[in-house]
Amino acid sequence: MEIREDRREPGLVVAVSGRVDSNSAGELEAALLARAGEPRLVVDLGAVEYVSSAGLRVFLMLAKKCKAGGGKMALCGLAPGVKQVFDLAGFTPLFTVEPDAAAALARLA
Amino acid sequence: MTEAAPRADRLQSLLDVSMALATQVDLDSLLQVILDQARSVMEAERSTLYVYDAGQDALLSRVSEGAAQGLVIRVPLGTGIAGHVGATRELVNIPDAYADPRFNPEIDRRGGFRTRSILTAPLLSHHGRLMGVIQLLNKRTGEPFSAEDEVLVRAFASHAGVALERARLVEEALEKQRIEEGLRLAHDIQMGMLPRSFPASPVLEIDAALAPAKTVGGDFYDVLAGTGAHAGRIWFAVGDVSGKGIGAALFMAVTRTMFRAAAGAGAPDPGAVLAQVNDELARDNERAMFVTVFAGLYDPATGVLEYANGGHNPPYVLRASGALETLPNAASPALAVIEGLPFANAEVRLGPGDALFAYTDGVNEAQNPRGELYGTPRLEAWLRAESGRPVPELVKSLIAEIDRFEEGAAPADDITVLAFRRLGGS
Repeated sequence: MEIREDRREPGLVVAVSGRVDSNSAGELEAALLARAGEPRLVVDLGAVEYVSSAGLRVFLMLAKKCKAGGGKMALCGLAPGVKQVFDLAGFTPLFTVEPDAAAALARLA
Repeated sequence: MTEAAPRADRLQSLLDVSMALATQVDLDSLLQVILDQARSVMEAERSTLYVYDAGQDALLSRVSEGAAQGLVIRVPLGTGIAGHVGATRELVNIPDAYADPRFNPEIDRRGGFRTRSILTAPLLSHHGRLMGVIQLLNKRTGEPFSAEDEVLVRAFASHAGVALERARLVEEALEKQRIEEGLRLAHDIQMGMLPRSFPASPVLEIDAALAPAKTVGGDFYDVLAGTGAHAGRIWFAVGDVSGKGIGAALFMAVTRTMFRAAAGAGAPDPGAVLAQVNDELARDNERAMFVTVFAGLYDPATGVLEYANGGHNPPYVLRASGALETLPNAASPALAVIEGLPFANAEVRLGPGDALFAYTDGVNEAQNPRGELYGTPRLEAWLRAESGRPVPELVKSLIAEIDRFEEGAAPADDITVLAFRRLGGS
């Protein structure tokens, strides 16, 4: 798994790639929760091939923490397999989901 | 005043020391050996050993004797003489302590001792990592420590540093083993709580199995007889807690206990059971853990299965005809995320010979050493081919099938299967 940050006004885009499973979830949790104070945070999952339940938990925590801090967050670029994991767990309605980073930034602006 | 021991004797004692150090792996006894041997080889009145604590970036002392024995002094790296030696990793030989500004006379006052000369050397690991600092006070001859003493203490310190590193590694490995054993024990206890015998009857064939992962996971299943208005029916559930480790295992135990309580207290249907469990789990859930649960209430007499699904992989219905159907997902979110959610109920009817097959994602996400997933298509093909088997055989052989697929790779996730078939009837 790799994490890359890109400041794209009016927000911050964090691009994740690889597998988000119980091996990498801890690292992702630390990286994302450190950015939960951003007023507009976009997490780009375009290069993520797999998300396990441990990974889902990280996104839930991030959404909770952003909401608590008054910030807005969105997910984008979910591959069909990843989208299915969110759907199956019944979590899709809990997130703002957009096709790509530009659309997500526009939605949060 | 004693004469300085001849050089050969001192070298012999150094050799003794290195042998003594080589045989000690227990950290406490090793520290004691280092302290005692250093004092005797170096002919010092006192010795203090500081162990480096990387977490605090400080030295923690072990004092050999006198009033200060047992007292732990914490010296941040860079302060005082020991701290200076730790920071620079260089030996310091001070002939007259009270003339040196780095010396802190406070320690003398507290220990009731008068320090004259000090020889301080770093203890380094094989790769030059700081393990500790050894400090020797007052050469017994009354003279300051000599250049020869410096050579000797360096030789001594290099043995002691390596021995210390080895003891640390052994201790860390043991600690890790203890934690793993504790987790394994916790898991075994929980496995022991899962039902092993099921309410089979002439019209019901039922079985379940859970193959635990190498790290403690959070799968569970449960089966219990309905009571009151649900007498004659059976409640069951299959669940999977997000993540791994002791937190997931505890969350699983709590979920299962709540399921039993809600089902046993006469909840009207599976959706009501999940709603109740969800509310209790969601209340104080800072860590955003969640659990997917498929819960059902089955009537063996009529074949009617009422179910609710909190974010779990939809089970399959294996029809007697050989057809494989995915249960229409009642599609509610996983439990413990949002309080106050309703959980929808759905219903399916099993005809004679039809079976229900529920599982956790440890099955479809099993991996072989090449990183390939077992996957849903393989699972469905296997079920189509094997669905005619008696349920206990079906459960056992799927676990074996996954094990075969993993080719010896330890399972990364718990694997749980629960299945039942309607026998006879119409």
